[in-house]
Amino acid sequence: MNRVVKVARMQLINKWSFLGIPMVILVASTLMTFAIWALLPASAREGTLYSGSGQAVMWYFLALGIQSLTFTFPFSQAMSVSRRTFYLGTLGLFATIAMGYAILYYLLGLVEKATGGWGFNGQLFALGWIAGNNAAIQILFYFVAMVLLFMIGFWAATVYMRWKATGLLIAGIGFAVVLLGLVALATLNDAWPQVGAWFAAMQVLGLSIVLGGLCVLLAGGSYLTLRRATT
Amino acid sequence: MEATPAPAIEVRNLTKTYREANALDSVSLSLEANRIYGLLGRNGAGKTTLMSILSGQGFPTGGQVLIHGKDPYENDGTLARICFIRESQRYPDDFNARQAFRAAALFFANWDQELAERLIEDFALPTKRRIKKLSRGQLSAVGVIIGMAARAEITVFDEPYLGLDAVARQIFYDRLVEDYSLHPRTIVLSSHLIDEIANLLEHVVVIDKGRIILDEDADSLRGSAFAVTGNQEKVAAFIEGRRVLHRDSLGSLASVTIQARLGATERAMAAELGLEISPVPLQQLVVRTTMAAQTEPRGDHYQEALK
Repeated sequence: MNRVVKVARMQLINKWSFLGIPMVILVASTLMTFAIWALLPASAREGTLYSGSGQAVMWYFLALGIQSLTFTFPFSQAMSVSRRTFYLGTLGLFATIAMGYAILYYLLGLVEKATGGWGFNGQLFALGWIAGNNAAIQILFYFVAMVLLFMIGFWAATVYMRWKATGLLIAGIGFAVVLLGLVALATLNDAWPQVGAWFAAMQVLGLSIVLGGLCVLLAGGSYLTLRRATT
Repeated sequence: MEATPAPAIEVRNLTKTYREANALDSVSLSLEANRIYGLLGRNGAGKTTLMSILSGQGFPTGGQVLIHGKDPYENDGTLARICFIRESQRYPDDFNARQAFRAAALFFANWDQELAERLIEDFALPTKRRIKKLSRGQLSAVGVIIGMAARAEITVFDEPYLGLDAVARQIFYDRLVEDYSLHPRTIVLSSHLIDEIANLLEHVVVIDKGRIILDEDADSLRGSAFAVTGNQEKVAAFIEGRRVLHRDSLGSLASVTIQARLGATERAMAAELGLEISPVPLQQLVVRTTMAAQTEPRGDHYQEALK
């Protein structure tokens, strides 16, 4: 059997991290949202009820990105797995899981609409801005958002593994400087109205592509960092 | 066509520089397949650095490592033939020993589950407790079991006995020899408990301050130095012109460790002088050589003297 697939199987030896915990978070956060909606007094239930609890799993994926590297990479070295194989196996596994969740979110969105917002006129999965698009774009957006969070965690963990706290500090400061530079650029050129218009005009597809580009950057950066990392 | 197959491990001018020190200083070695090598040296001598580079886990600053003729770095085909468990090996936080063994069974083609089960019993290893919660000795046992049951063509143990009690250590040595005789492979064992493993070793490599100061067949090494004990003056006369590794004296008595291969004539001469010739245990030999090397800039002298 291919060693990349074996890495994925190694990550799944303990089924909680990749499979169990995300499902528990999804089910628990959704049920809690329903409970809160049910407890609301009738006066507060007028109109649509919004909830952001669908994000809960996504934030767990940030932690999972960190964990899948820091816990497992040193062990994979002892298993005589090359860095490249570890990288492909781990990212491949997560991409598969993220695709599963993206499809699940889309399906839950359909259920939400069909049941009149779970009977509460609520919006949890089929958020108006996203749900107005076709299936492929919705799934792409969820997928990219999940992969992005995972990649941020994974990349930060590779930087820490290779350069320790100094590396993370420099990366953090560098990121802040770039952000500040962009803000300065917009301010000095009096370009804020255009920037605002650009964001307002951004469609889900456009945003997915921009975030997807970020994912690719982080994935490339993680690989180059990991290639020369030692445990 | 090559006349002889490439050595199991070949190290050429390997250098590793950390910010403040030379961990490895132009190390060259050639290790044959299917022998047991001892990599001996003090703490910080460069043992772990050398082992992690030759298993593709670390990078050299200069030089080259070839495993069966191929660079192991990022080379899955070659890596699959090597098993190196670090002394400070980290395991996934949520793993128990059973899960670590299941992972090892995935990656090592020759994995022997029966041997693993037997070793688990021998070491009385709790397999359902998280590895994080194991004692130092139990943690070492996890590494030893993976290293042995993996039956990798090249198996590297980095001070595998840390925290193991005397009984467990003996079990490890016995099982290792037993399994090695049934399934020969290249074993590199780093240690500073030299006497304990002396009988296991077929070849000894001593490293000090990043340099190889001894690289010698164990049998030939055992006959390469002797302690001469007796009257101080007679000892002095006998050892004239020989390389002295160590000197002890008590009153008119002297005991001098010399480096020499003694023939029958020389032994007869010593007997006539009333001197006692005794073999030097491997540990003594390594300690004396290391200390002697520190007073001489390079260990070449010793290497030359052995020939």
